[in-house]
Amino acid sequence: MLTIVLRAIIIYLVVLFVFRVMGKRQLGQMQPFELVLTLIIADLATIPMAEIGVPVLHGIIPLLTLVILHFLLTLLSRLSTKFSMIISGKPVIVINPKGIDYKALKKLNITIDDVFEAMRGLGYFSLDQVEYAIMETNGKLSVMPKAEAAPATNGALKIKTEPAAIPVTIVSEGKLMKDNLVFAKVDEEFIQNFLKEKLGDKAKIKNVLVMTIDKNGLVYLQMKNGSKQVFENVREAA
Amino acid sequence: MKIFSKVCLVLIFLFLVAMCIVEDYVASTALATVEDDCLRLEEMTANLDNIVTMEVALAVDTLEYNWTGNESKLCYLVNHKSIQEIGMEIAKLKVYQQENDVKEFRASLEAVKFYSHSYLHFMGASLHNVI
Repeated sequence: MLTIVLRAIIIYLVVLFVFRVMGKRQLGQMQPFELVLTLIIADLATIPMAEIGVPVLHGIIPLLTLVILHFLLTLLSRLSTKFSMIISGKPVIVINPKGIDYKALKKLNITIDDVFEAMRGLGYFSLDQVEYAIMETNGKLSVMPKAEAAPATNGALKIKTEPAAIPVTIVSEGKLMKDNLVFAKVDEEFIQNFLKEKLGDKAKIKNVLVMTIDKNGLVYLQMKNGSKQVFENVREAA
Repeated sequence: MKIFSKVCLVLIFLFLVAMCIVEDYVASTALATVEDDCLRLEEMTANLDNIVTMEVALAVDTLEYNWTGNESKLCYLVNHKSIQEIGMEIAKLKVYQQENDVKEFRASLEAVKFYSHSYLHFMGASLHNVI
């Protein structure tokens, strides 16, 4: 039993390492060859885990070989558009201004219901709302709505807006996010003073559930036993 | 691409190459040793009617000792179940030698030679194994 436990730990760490090296794409974003690799990896990992007679290396070696293969395929895809099209395919327009391209659907081996389902997932319930729909190489549908169905943007409505600022988490579940402090240009002392000023002497960093700050000085604060509070124009954050 | 990934890929590649070389080397030397030991035993017992001698017993022990050492190395590289026949035949060989069963002793020796030779087929890199 101990052998199986140790083997499971080793294989788990190797698979973790393999996925770390391969990148952070999620299942839905994978190209066909990446999906194939993921499926093979899952299968390979289980063999030496359960079979004590099989050396762990029999699982590790093919896993690492697949990493190298994946790297080569990615490199070749990047270098050659043709190669990329061969292994990943190319985006296909399934809906155009004339309507649904039935030939394209047949080629892709998908039904009209599949297209409708994907469209509904994107918030378009009628064909009339869609100008173009493109089936991407990762199997996801991209939709370009008709002008009248497109959501209004600030630009289209000519509304003046300030540049968006990314809120940086500086405290999470009572822990200081030290790397983020540098990014937000604040320090621990600032946070402690801020908490004292706004919530009194008893407020401590360890009692903060979440605290974020953006470059405009907007602070979002929620204590572990309290509700959210928003503070604007916190000058020191600039 | 991040330096981490680049370094990892180079290390993985080197590791794979090293493992291939090590496997080939360990398999060929281990099995060659067994074959050599078997040939020595064969020569030694070729004209003997009585194999219950210190010399033969020592030669069988050497064969067993060498194989046990090599088997533990090979177990890192190949399925343990695939290479257990040699060990089993050597165990029989010892009994036949102690009981002076010359006929069975020779048959067992042949079996060890056969296994050590045939193991090379699935351990080494060959087109048969690949396909």
